Amino acid sequence: MKSSFITVAVTVLALGTAGGLGRALVAPTRAALRLRQSSWRVDFPDGAAGLVRGGALLGGFRTLAADFLWLRVNVLWEKRDLPGAMQNLRLVTALDPRPLVFWLNGARMMAYDMPAWRVAALGGRAVGAGGVARRIESDQAHLALAWLDAALKFHPASPAVFIERANIRINCLHDPAAAAEEYRRAAGQPGAPRYAARLHAEMLRRAGRKTEALAWLVALHAGLPRNDEAAAADLVLARIRDLEAELGIPPGESYRVQEL
Amino acid sequence: MTTEAAISIQGLTKDFAIGLRGTRLRAVDNLSLHIGQGQIFGLLGPNGSGKSTTIKLILDLLQPTAGKCLIFGVSHDLAESRRTVGYLPESPYFHRYLTGRELVGFHAGLAGLSGGQLARRVDEVIARFGLSNAADRRVGSYSKGMLQRAGLAQALVHDPRLVILDEPAAGMDPAGVEEISTMLLQLKAEGRTVVMVSHLLGQMEEVCDRMAILNHGRLVWEGTRADLAGASGRQALVVDELSMEHLGDLRQWLEQRGSTLRGVGQPALKLAEIFRRHTAVAETRRRF
Amino acid sequence: MSFFSFCPRRAGLIARVTLLEAMRQRLPQILLLGAAGLAVGVQGLRGINFGLPELKFIADLGFGGMVFFGSILTIFSGSHLFYSEIYGRSAVTVLAKPVSRTEFLAGKFIGMMGVAALFSVVMTVVIAFVLYTRESTLMQERPELFEHGGRLRYGDIFAAGFAYGLRFGVLAAFTLMIASHVRSSLYAVMASFGVLLICDLQYLAQEAYAHTGTTPLRLLAGLIALLFPDFQVFNLADLAGAEDGIQAEQLWRVTGYGLCYIAAAGALAVFSFKRREI
Repeated sequence: MKSSFITVAVTVLALGTAGGLGRALVAPTRAALRLRQSSWRVDFPDGAAGLVRGGALLGGFRTLAADFLWLRVNVLWEKRDLPGAMQNLRLVTALDPRPLVFWLNGARMMAYDMPAWRVAALGGRAVGAGGVARRIESDQAHLALAWLDAALKFHPASPAVFIERANIRINCLHDPAAAAEEYRRAAGQPGAPRYAARLHAEMLRRAGRKTEALAWLVALHAGLPRNDEAAAADLVLARIRDLEAELGIPPGESYRVQEL
Repeated sequence: MTTEAAISIQGLTKDFAIGLRGTRLRAVDNLSLHIGQGQIFGLLGPNGSGKSTTIKLILDLLQPTAGKCLIFGVSHDLAESRRTVGYLPESPYFHRYLTGRELVGFHAGLAGLSGGQLARRVDEVIARFGLSNAADRRVGSYSKGMLQRAGLAQALVHDPRLVILDEPAAGMDPAGVEEISTMLLQLKAEGRTVVMVSHLLGQMEEVCDRMAILNHGRLVWEGTRADLAGASGRQALVVDELSMEHLGDLRQWLEQRGSTLRGVGQPALKLAEIFRRHTAVAETRRRF
Repeated sequence: MSFFSFCPRRAGLIARVTLLEAMRQRLPQILLLGAAGLAVGVQGLRGINFGLPELKFIADLGFGGMVFFGSILTIFSGSHLFYSEIYGRSAVTVLAKPVSRTEFLAGKFIGMMGVAALFSVVMTVVIAFVLYTRESTLMQERPELFEHGGRLRYGDIFAAGFAYGLRFGVLAAFTLMIASHVRSSLYAVMASFGVLLICDLQYLAQEAYAHTGTTPLRLLAGLIALLFPDFQVFNLADLAGAEDGIQAEQLWRVTGYGLCYIAAAGALAVFSFKRREI
């Protein structure tokens, strides 16, 4: 009895000391990891915590399990198994919501592939010519948008998610105004690709809001570096000139390039 | 030559806890022994008498409940005390995946040998115990007899001053027992102290200088071979070709001097002797 | 007492024999099988073309497999290599030599670590090789993906592999601590898996109790966090994809964290083993 007590006391003392020292030492690294791993956090808004909690129970093996399920999703995708693919997509992101590829590719499957499977299952072209196909495409697109809404809870500052949403809105729902809004939000995120801002203007133009588009491009061009090829300042300027022509703006009132 | 004892045990006691209720079994009870240098010391006793426990206590494999033990004057709970000790456990088991040479080399290294000295000693003991042909085979493929030889090789590879052998002849045939006896005498001749635990009373009697008998963990008898001979107060004569007439004369001669001839018989050859005569002893003898 | 008696050479000899024994059993085959399985499995991914994220996926899959199989290997091989000496009674012959219990346990631990380190090195090299070949192919097939950089940092891959190896080291030390205390190998294996579970999941309890728990639950979570290492800390692979990658400071902090627990569990193993009757 006395021996057991000594053993427990020595164990608590030794491991406690190691823990105290170790925790102090590793605290900054732990904080950095916590930021990278959204599934660590249980303070997510809108019930997202509940989604990740189940996956987190797998501990260090969560990533592995999610990766294997992702392979399964792709097998089911090849087999055009819509319910199977959907079920496994939800499981994958519940297990490990960190990789963007799960969200983005999942959204593409829902928005572009699954409508084609559903239309084909109903008879193909004959149905596709009618309103049924359009309704199916619209349903699937909204499903994909809801999916990407969930992605934003884990990746709130990811331009890729907003770009994907914009693509779905224009390609599947044919709604340039909504797409313009998504591209604008994408362009506002840190590390966003330059083309997001250009596409925002293009969507505004397609939506008939050419004045707004011109104002956006002028403001954009004023801030672009001239010697950066990726910034494509010349391309933006060409779009400005096109819009000025379309709006009939006289040469005297046209945008004047300020040398930086 | 110092007069320091090879092993000095004072009041050694060992209790084992049995079950969860704290019941204790006393395996060794207040044992005191002094084993001088250069002798063969035999530890005898029935099963469960505490012989092997005593050996394990000496080697610090078990912690004593009370008492102390010194090996050449060094406390037994210091690893240093075992530097001059070679030990062969009962039914030795070794690392099955090592070859015989790797095994002996490993134990030589643990005992502090290194480099050329290690390689030379490994070769010597492997040859001495007849393992040269099997030295590069894995120990897992060895027979019981070969394992015993490998055990002896690892026990002696570092040239120890004290050799402790726990049932060294267990499970061996008579030829093997005789080989062990020869080896024990050779170890003594080399100036080593040997402590041996055995059930083979005949062998003990033949080779041991001193013996101790344990029963229920207590020392019940300790003495020399000479003490054994005088214990009955009787002598025996073995005579070749004695006629009945001469036997009568001998009886009369003894009575005149106050002695009595208690019995006359024809001693039979011991079974072990017949076994040895009919088996190839000569070959195996050369190993020692 | 011989508690602090320590000769590195003797510990090294015991470590060498422990590693040799492990290598002469079926452990190398398991290593090769795991590595080959990963390499072949990744080839199958080529059909699923998801561009640059594929590299992250391969790394996640590879390291995930490494953690999963490595944890099982560490617990089973650690327990086996310890108990084979005790049950097989070869420990009796070894400890009858001038070998202290500290040296014996240190040798066993280094041998166990040798197995885990070999596994980690083989797996990390295979992961790095697979990533390199796939990255080279992607650069040829789709150079536009790499226009803005995005090339893998192989130093980070090896740093992540090192951190996982350290995680196996902590697990091996805890397995040895348990094995040196308990008599049954089955019990030791089960208890070690229990420890693995606690170490892998404790971050969750900490997070949950920090937000919702009552005071007693928070204290309990705090005590668990103190006594058991948090294995999530060793997932440096998650930082490999970060903008500035794995920093040297982060690596040495994690190494220090692991070493603290290895030292404590190792000392406790010696404390128990000193009193163990062989």
